[in-house]
Amino acid sequence: MFRDESVLGRMTIGLARGLAVLGGVALMVIVAMVVASVVGRALIWLGLRPITGDYELVSVGMGFAVFAFMPWVHLERGHALVSLVTDSFGVRANGWLLVVSDLLMLALSSFLAWRLYYGMMDKFAYRETTLLLRFPLGWAYALGLVGAVALVLVAAYVFGRSISFAIAGEAEPKRAGAEI
Amino acid sequence: MSDLTLGLVGIPLVLVLIFLRIPIGVAMFGVGIAGTWLVTGSFNPVMGQFKNLTYSTFASYSLSVVPLFLLMGQFATLGGLSAGLFNAAAAWLGHKKGGVAMAAIGASAGFGAICGSSLATAATMGQVALPELKKYGYSGALATGTVAAGGTLGILIPPSIILVIFAVLTEQNIAKLFMGAFVPGILAAIGYVIVIAIYVRVRPDAGGVRERMPYGQRFRELAKTWPVLAIFTVVIGGIYAGIFTPTEAAAIGAAGTFIIALSARSLDRKAIIQACLATATSTGMIFLIVLGAAALNSFLALSQVPQVMAAWVGDQGFNPWLVMILVLIFYLVMGCVMDSLSMILLTVPIIYPMMMVLDFGLTPDEFGIWFGIIVLIVVEVGLITPPVGMNLFIIHSMSPGTRLSETYRGVLPFVASDIVRTAILVAFPPITLWLVWMLY
Repeated sequence: MFRDESVLGRMTIGLARGLAVLGGVALMVIVAMVVASVVGRALIWLGLRPITGDYELVSVGMGFAVFAFMPWVHLERGHALVSLVTDSFGVRANGWLLVVSDLLMLALSSFLAWRLYYGMMDKFAYRETTLLLRFPLGWAYALGLVGAVALVLVAAYVFGRSISFAIAGEAEPKRAGAEI
Repeated sequence: MSDLTLGLVGIPLVLVLIFLRIPIGVAMFGVGIAGTWLVTGSFNPVMGQFKNLTYSTFASYSLSVVPLFLLMGQFATLGGLSAGLFNAAAAWLGHKKGGVAMAAIGASAGFGAICGSSLATAATMGQVALPELKKYGYSGALATGTVAAGGTLGILIPPSIILVIFAVLTEQNIAKLFMGAFVPGILAAIGYVIVIAIYVRVRPDAGGVRERMPYGQRFRELAKTWPVLAIFTVVIGGIYAGIFTPTEAAAIGAAGTFIIALSARSLDRKAIIQACLATATSTGMIFLIVLGAAALNSFLALSQVPQVMAAWVGDQGFNPWLVMILVLIFYLVMGCVMDSLSMILLTVPIIYPMMMVLDFGLTPDEFGIWFGIIVLIVVEVGLITPPVGMNLFIIHSMSPGTRLSETYRGVLPFVASDIVRTAILVAFPPITLWLVWMLY
């Protein structure tokens, strides 16, 4: 069940991948908006003007995008780690270490989503908004919560996947990872 | 246990977890919230803190420059700018001894001016330069060593993702840091070219030459690289002149490279999705570490460790230069096993205040720029040193005929040049700072 070829696996991959692409699209929209705003500011003498609240829009869009990227990074094993010591441990030990680290990630992501939810409720309750556009911060948090909840789902799947590999005594297939 | 003891236990604990292959961001986060819990004696502060901390970190305007620079680098890669840069550099240098390899360095430096990431630079230059180097008979060791080392120029020459993070972390001016990195970046490229010149003289069989090109064609090839120059000028010039914020500059740069990729007809749906996913993995990786560092730092601040350590170092009357050398050796060794960004986020909150109390004859502002750039260079050496040099791995995977041990051997002279350059920059702070002084 917890294999990438299974129905559950393909659904999880689709969810993470779809959200990551949506986050990327959000970045591109931010790019277009910022360029338009800078051009407007530069051409004030022509009667154009910058977009009102452009900083706020960047922030809200970025909040959505970064949360939306998180499930994909975890699924693809993109997080930075040091495998120098553990490389000498053998497949079985490494498999169970991965189970532990995936459990920690599940705990962390649940904690983050849970706290973010309460943060969102606070923002709605106090009717907090952004400064210029009066955009309700509760909705900005809600956009972030989409990615945060997806991360919990993906982390649960990844945890199951690493248990299934650890029990079978196999190594997980290598993934590309990330680095800057 | 006193708060201070907790803080002092916390740091080694993070390292133990990291060496047990716990993702670095998770390890910092876990120790951070557990530590805050113990210091304050209640879990409520952490619960309250994370109602907002995650969102405010991920949606931070000052950090939004990071994903935008990453996206810019992705489009630059798709736009085929690396091939144009390499052709131009090879037109000018290809007929010299070791000239094709020197061209790869020159092109990497050029690509570094529009890409803030090391691995992306190494990967895209590898695709372009490795086949050419092979064609002109360059040994596998020199070819892979050159491209791997050239990749580090991607992060040193501005824009640079890691300098952005360093600037946010130490509350410094991004523009000044970028200006400060410029001269050391050029020096790095020159140092690598000298390495190649010596290499092919010691081992004349290591590389051949291309035929000399007439000047007309050289200038035509150079003229074709104008988009790179244009984007670099707008992005870095605009930040420097204060015309726009770093985030706006990054967005404009991303739009510029997007247009170039579009006109190169390399932007189909599949390519855009790939660019999104690659941006997603790097962004997600960075922001998890940043979040972990935020959790860890609020614990360390509560435990007073940075203040106490800084006061202690100040009281001992150590020789500042000796401390600097020890710190750099520490970074060099740790950089060999850990990625640069994690290193910086993990250590700078403690080491930076400690170094600030030492007197190097610089103002705090100048010290911040100088120290940040030298640390960046030293941790980047880790990208091209065994055992976990990511640049070496990616170049090795693109060059099937070359053994990893040959790559290790080929990159060593470049590492030596990095160390010599670091020594020079440490000994003479004005080299790093003169451009900043000139411009501000």
